[in-house]
Amino acid sequence: MHLHVASAYSLRYGAAPPAALAARAADLGLETLALTDRDGLYGAVRHVRACGAAGIGAVVGADLNLGGGERVVVLAEGRAGWRSLCRLVTAAHAAGERGRPVATREMVGAHAEGLVVLLGPASDVGRAVAARRPDLASRLLARWRETAETVIEIVDHHDVGDGHRAARMLALARESGVPAVLANAVRYLEPADHPVAQVLDVTRRLVPLDRRHLDDRTGHAYLKSEAQMRRVAELACGPDEAEALLAETRRLSERCVLDPGRDLGMDAVHLPEVTGDPQARLAARCAEGMARRGLGGSRRARARLADELGVIARKGLAPYFLTVADAAALIRSRGIRCAIRGSGAGSLVNHLLGIGDLDPLRHDLVMERFLADSREGLPDIDLDVESARRLEAYEALFDRYGADGTACVSMMETYRARSAIRDVGNAVGLPPQEIDAIAKAFPQIRASQIGAALRDLPELRQSNLSRGRLDVLFRIAERLDGLPRHIAMHPCGVLLSNATLRDRVPVEQSALGFPMSQFDKDDAEAMGLLKLDVIGVRMQSAMAHAVAEVARTTGEEIDLEAVPRDDPDTFALIRTSRTLGCFQIESPGQRELIGRLQPWNLDDLVIDISLFRPGPVNSDMVSPFLDARAGIREPDYPHPDLEPALRESLGVVVFHEQVLRVLDVMTGCGLSTAEAARRSLNQERGQAAVGAWFRERARARGYDEPTVERVWRTLTAFGAFGFCKAHAASFALPTYQSAWLKRHHTAAFYAGVLTHDPGMYPKRVILDDARHFGVPILPLDVNRSAPDWHAEPVAEGGPTGIRVALNEVRGISDAEVDAIVGARPYASLTDFWRRARVSRPTAERLVLAGAFDGLYPGGPGGEPVPRRDLLCRVGALDRATARRSGPAVVEGQLPLGDEDGDGDPSGAGTGLAEPVPLGELPPMTPAEIVEAELDVLGMDVSRHVLGFYDGLLDALGIVRAAALPGRPAGSDVLVAGVKVATQTPAVRSGQRIIFATLDDSTGPVDLAFFESVQERCAATVFGSWLLVVRGRVRHAGARAVSITATACWDLNTLYEEWRRGGIDAVRAAMARRGPQVRPVGRRVVQPTGFAMSLYSDIGHAGPAVKRPPRAPLWHTSGGSSGPAPD
Amino acid sequence: MTRVFGDPVDVWTSDGRPVRFVWRGRLYRVRRVLEHWVTTRDWWREQHPDGEATGEREFWRVEATPDREIGVYELRYDAVSDTWLLSRVWD
Repeated sequence: MHLHVASAYSLRYGAAPPAALAARAADLGLETLALTDRDGLYGAVRHVRACGAAGIGAVVGADLNLGGGERVVVLAEGRAGWRSLCRLVTAAHAAGERGRPVATREMVGAHAEGLVVLLGPASDVGRAVAARRPDLASRLLARWRETAETVIEIVDHHDVGDGHRAARMLALARESGVPAVLANAVRYLEPADHPVAQVLDVTRRLVPLDRRHLDDRTGHAYLKSEAQMRRVAELACGPDEAEALLAETRRLSERCVLDPGRDLGMDAVHLPEVTGDPQARLAARCAEGMARRGLGGSRRARARLADELGVIARKGLAPYFLTVADAAALIRSRGIRCAIRGSGAGSLVNHLLGIGDLDPLRHDLVMERFLADSREGLPDIDLDVESARRLEAYEALFDRYGADGTACVSMMETYRARSAIRDVGNAVGLPPQEIDAIAKAFPQIRASQIGAALRDLPELRQSNLSRGRLDVLFRIAERLDGLPRHIAMHPCGVLLSNATLRDRVPVEQSALGFPMSQFDKDDAEAMGLLKLDVIGVRMQSAMAHAVAEVARTTGEEIDLEAVPRDDPDTFALIRTSRTLGCFQIESPGQRELIGRLQPWNLDDLVIDISLFRPGPVNSDMVSPFLDARAGIREPDYPHPDLEPALRESLGVVVFHEQVLRVLDVMTGCGLSTAEAARRSLNQERGQAAVGAWFRERARARGYDEPTVERVWRTLTAFGAFGFCKAHAASFALPTYQSAWLKRHHTAAFYAGVLTHDPGMYPKRVILDDARHFGVPILPLDVNRSAPDWHAEPVAEGGPTGIRVALNEVRGISDAEVDAIVGARPYASLTDFWRRARVSRPTAERLVLAGAFDGLYPGGPGGEPVPRRDLLCRVGALDRATARRSGPAVVEGQLPLGDEDGDGDPSGAGTGLAEPVPLGELPPMTPAEIVEAELDVLGMDVSRHVLGFYDGLLDALGIVRAAALPGRPAGSDVLVAGVKVATQTPAVRSGQRIIFATLDDSTGPVDLAFFESVQERCAATVFGSWLLVVRGRVRHAGARAVSITATACWDLNTLYEEWRRGGIDAVRAAMARRGPQVRPVGRRVVQPTGFAMSLYSDIGHAGPAVKRPPRAPLWHTSGGSSGPAPD
Repeated sequence: MTRVFGDPVDVWTSDGRPVRFVWRGRLYRVRRVLEHWVTTRDWWREQHPDGEATGEREFWRVEATPDREIGVYELRYDAVSDTWLLSRVWD
């Protein structure tokens, strides 16, 4: 019925998701529904599936921009139409600039097969009719009829003049004998949605709300019923014509209904072409692999291989495995580190083909979690590659499979609270700074939670945001929730297919220039396309960098894959919990768990990684496991039959694989059926059905009632939150490798971690950790620093240090870094200025961060040349350059020679008009140096920032991190430090607990703020960088300590009090009472019984903690030497 | 000539369209609808938008007659208050 419908996938235009439109159409009794999004098919697959679910016929088209505001709708008929539509949309995107596709009539003509063009009010014909140019309208219409099958589209939104224009349009159709249909150019579900469309109208145009900027002025672009549509037509064209229009509309709709299988190819998979008999080739390659991996003699391996090959043959997936093996080999052949992740590691075939490095038999991984007769669709293989070289891997794949058969997967970024507030704030005309402040006050939650968050969260209650004035803003912002706002390249998905890919998938260019499918990963899967996830993992890059640094500095070539996986020193390091920078085990919670679990081998790491999940935490598995492990308690098996499946985790269900085995043992259903049952456990309905099935089968096999119930309770509590062991095992390997590097090649390890920043902490924390491990931190130096962090031996036979990277300098460009490195060495600042040719701000930042200190160490017995003098000189050089040669420095116009090569930068003899005398400016104090480092590099290199508060901290009796383990449990302490992490993970009680970590120069201090203290603490925790916290000591394991916080203060505020009124003023400030306690929001209880705070696991309010704030950190009144310890 | 009014009127409708109205004590019969259009309210300008800003205003320009003379009348319907006004008259 409706032939012209925009969903929310018409970005900043449509307001309803395809599924909602289809459901509403079915409710209205319509038999078909079209989706004709603007310039793309982003919503097409969802639409087709939603229509299928709603039991109505799906029509698909696109509303194409022809430039100058002109638009036509094209509908696809049949398979040929779908192909034409995909290719036409792709062509329109290729023709326009990125993000501004433009089609032409000729382009439509070139893809006319199976397309029907609707000429509505926005077409050239419609505009000629509106302009009362019937002659022109006829001519234009005739042109379209030569181009493609053409239909006139009558639309009346009841704006001024709409009715008359519709009537004239119909008259034109009747005169020319062109069929006419009725449409409503739908943008939203119901009349009440029009404010959302109006906000989108002005947001798209970047203008404030005003009637003249709106496309929708009448609120009638909603999904009308047939009766409502008839009334529209009757008003404009009379009752008889209305009936005729409806009949013609119905006819065209029925003609254009697409069959998902026949027309869209959703009933088959479309793999890359493989020559020969794929199954035979796969079997042969697996046989080779058996020999290569030394498994030929193992009966178990042979049986497993036969099983897997059987499933693969039955499902016809051999080409898939050959393709993925080929892709993985291709990536490795470029020297890019590549590891398998996820359930694919459980497949022996993957291991034999060289896709994965873990032997699934050795680690007791099952294949059914990955590949089973009961699993539909294509299996999922994910490859982890070095993040820094991910695009290189993509390029290799594009080269190999051809631009026609390959595309990246896209994803839609949707409106969330902050983005919705920003766009609506702009629409209603709030000042930009105000919008910024309001948006940042919210944590990173869904837009629909805005109202609830204003009521629930203490940090928002204490702002004045919820006081009426901004009511409209928040209400409309909530309604933008989940609407797509921006299409982006998916961070890892690549489609590998054959030459027919462009017939099935519309493609546009991504920001990085890759062809990108308009379908997201779910759509691609529904379309039967092979999606390979090539995931950029920073830790892989960090380890590659570390290995390269070892080779560069020592000549030793390390093959990480060949390193023995049982190095006792490495596990000894892990057991100390000093695992900052290591993969997966650096978070405060993980360090605590590591401390309690005390891993001795790789299998322990696999369990550790699996335990650190909401599921095990929720089902209270951690404590029984740790107790059994420590020998405090005997392992407790629900039934002796289950012991083999649960022995590795001492009676506790940790892995998906164990769920399969338990189901199999108790019901005898086989692992494939067990996998299907496990997947059903996620939904409430499926869980009930599986429960009935499980109880019946288990009882029939003679298990008694209490055992059956007990096992079932465990399985449901485990729910969807468990972990796939294959996945944990593939994570445990890089975890071990990173710890091995930290233990044996410490400096190179830090160079890698600091360069690629893989973890959760700010770099300054990693730097501090390096100090604790005895790695010298070598300052920035124009003659020594490389673009990235380097390991650098300090002296022959001495320790290896790490050298600060040039890339850390704020605002420095890649070109400047290259120029600096390329023209080395430099004899002087002038020399540098002349040959490296960096911008003045960059030169100044280099000076401030001490990059020239090495050049001016001072003469015999003399002081080093102060940075402030060098800074003046940069200014003088800049002015001299500008005066002599204008903006471009011309070689030869500056005096030759090394004027200040003796370390005299005074400018004497350099030809500068303004010699800069030395020694008139005070040298920078240590405090100023650290402040400059924080500003330029984002980290305190020369000393710890907290050092400047020592006086106050000592006066307060602050306990340092290093001294905390010695404090008795339950004792009250004051701690202080730089905030380096805040998290609000899902925890067992369902509270929102704020976990924060401070760094106080002796180590990390882990804090927990429970809801009872958040009313007075949350705003300070999220808003401050330097904190003082009071709390009680809690011991977790042998060494790990965490503090249960009871109060907290901003350190700078206390410092200010100290300067003003001494320690008494500080104590008085700390004694002031905060606001009263209120609970922090509601809980969501999952079907598994897992209660969760709505605000857990989200980015919190306030700025990010990865870089220090760009404000003065302590008070350095003009030229003073910073805080004096008075 | 055009005259602008804002007089409340009583309107009888059939299938959503005005068919008769009473203005200043006289009954007018609608002979023909000349034009019909709708506008949404400027909800973003309103100080205290009552709940959702869904109200629309519907305008009907009609030929109507109290006796033999035909005039053109513009009727305005406000969905939120469910009231009719006679907004303009050409006679």
